[in-house]
Amino acid sequence: MKTTPEKNFSTTGKIGKSLLLLLPMTLLIFILSTGGKPNFTSQVSLIAFLITFFFFNILFFMILYKGKVDKFRAAGFITLALFFALTFIVDLINARGTMTFNNETMLSCEIPFCHIVSTMIILPLIFSGGIIFPGSIIGGFASITSMLVIVLGVMIALGRGFCSWGCFYGGWDDGTSRILRKPVIKKVNPAFRWAAFAVLIIVAIVSLIMVNPFYCDWLCPFKTVTEFEKVTSFTVLLKTITFVSLFAALVIILPLLTKKRIQCTTLCPMGALCSLSNKINVFDVRIDKEKCNDCMLCTKACPTMSLEKTDVANGKPSITCMKCGKCIDACNRSAINYHIKGTPVGKRVTLARMLFLYPAFTLLVLFTSGTMQQGIVLLVKLFTTGSLL
Amino acid sequence: MGEGFILGLSTGAVCVAYCGPVLIPYLMSESGGLKKSYILVAIFLAGRLSAYLLTALLAGIIGQSVVQQSDSRTLLMGIAYMILSAMLIAYGLYRFKEICLGHTIKTIEKDKKAKDRFLIPLTGGFLTGINICPPFLLAITGAIDSGTIGGSIMFFLAFFAGTSVYFLPMPVAGMFKRQHVLRIIGKFAALLAGILYFYKGLILLIR
Repeated sequence: MKTTPEKNFSTTGKIGKSLLLLLPMTLLIFILSTGGKPNFTSQVSLIAFLITFFFFNILFFMILYKGKVDKFRAAGFITLALFFALTFIVDLINARGTMTFNNETMLSCEIPFCHIVSTMIILPLIFSGGIIFPGSIIGGFASITSMLVIVLGVMIALGRGFCSWGCFYGGWDDGTSRILRKPVIKKVNPAFRWAAFAVLIIVAIVSLIMVNPFYCDWLCPFKTVTEFEKVTSFTVLLKTITFVSLFAALVIILPLLTKKRIQCTTLCPMGALCSLSNKINVFDVRIDKEKCNDCMLCTKACPTMSLEKTDVANGKPSITCMKCGKCIDACNRSAINYHIKGTPVGKRVTLARMLFLYPAFTLLVLFTSGTMQQGIVLLVKLFTTGSLL
Repeated sequence: MGEGFILGLSTGAVCVAYCGPVLIPYLMSESGGLKKSYILVAIFLAGRLSAYLLTALLAGIIGQSVVQQSDSRTLLMGIAYMILSAMLIAYGLYRFKEICLGHTIKTIEKDKKAKDRFLIPLTGGFLTGINICPPFLLAITGAIDSGTIGGSIMFFLAFFAGTSVYFLPMPVAGMFKRQHVLRIIGKFAALLAGILYFYKGLILLIR
């Protein structure tokens, strides 16, 4: 049987080729995990580094060798979310003695800036020239400038791929959506994939008018696992009930029942903004219509409802695609692949796949490696001393 | 004013999505180019503005002479916000396809005697403006809540500005290729605005 050069280039099931293509990533993992200067202050930090280093090497090797993306990406991505929450909370308690913040904390601009706030500060910055978030502009922990630069860079490089490869919250509902083998709620109205755009419009405008990051103040479910305002009034109580309920509903219960990433799809304004950046990003996911047999396995697999029948007919997912790779893995005819815009669909798919996977996985390592090492050190401390602090 | 703008922005997409399909074909067919399209849209918006100013005047009079004088003002406004925001939430969740009064201009369009080309967008704008839908009723409540005629007019001006944002790209035909998506986003935005106002009503009642 005649094989095409494309098939020969594939790494699936080939240990030698997989190891060869792993080498550049091994170097990157080493640099990102050590900052280029290995300096292990204790035996525990060395162990934490080794676990992190081998963890990511194994994940990337498996992506290459097995020819599957999503399962191994998710392992790293969920790890990021869990360790981020753990280390963030411990850091906060060490610094402030509590997970809560008050007016004093806000006045001293000590609130760490998260990427979601980017959606709320742009309009006020344009119209008033001021930043409406009580964080550090430059320098210090999670400064506004550094986070904005990272967000902009990642949006240009990966589009909404950020939501599946770099976001330190996304792993929560990605994780809960994988707990059950089959969904209890089998069909979710695909119209919900547009809900985050409405949230983006509302929070951007309300933040501009109220001169206040409205989403962070009222809606962000992830305050439950990071930091939140001290309950001192009925309004703050109402806010607390709102974000805890949203966390329970959109991050835990609904992803569990639907096997969809409900929070990321319906509530996250950053997700909507990243979706728009999919338009300018060079990578997308395309369906080779010659191979596709319309089995619709991809539509069932897509965690963001970005692939519906009409999208399959169009040969590509909607603008809301997070490039997680789940549809690619689900297709048993290899009809769906990462693709570079402007190139023919179905040609040089392995090359396009590798060109996407390297920066995407690098981003995952960049965000996770430090947090994971710190988290492992904390866990060792917990087991040996009985305390995380 | 800010609240009026937010309410307008959050519900304006719904106005375009429901009233637009009737108005746009007319506006486009009458137009010889982008400039003329914008003139017709401006006339349409003038019709809406006149309706809003008229309503604002009435709401202001009611707010100033009746509601402000009442001892139960906070209670009344709290209840009004909660009921109307619940309607807005329902509006966001369900289909109200024929709710826009702008649909009536189909009849006017067919009327051969309507020689004045400007009358149709002006009437359409006015009818869209006084359309009794939850966002409009909520805007009336907000205007009454302002307590003065001036405050009421300012509220409706801001509401007008918020809704008008969505009408401005009308002559740019490309925007309407994905009209169904705009409609969905508009309904979700209305839903969120409803929840925001529900909270406002709740806080007013509890205080």
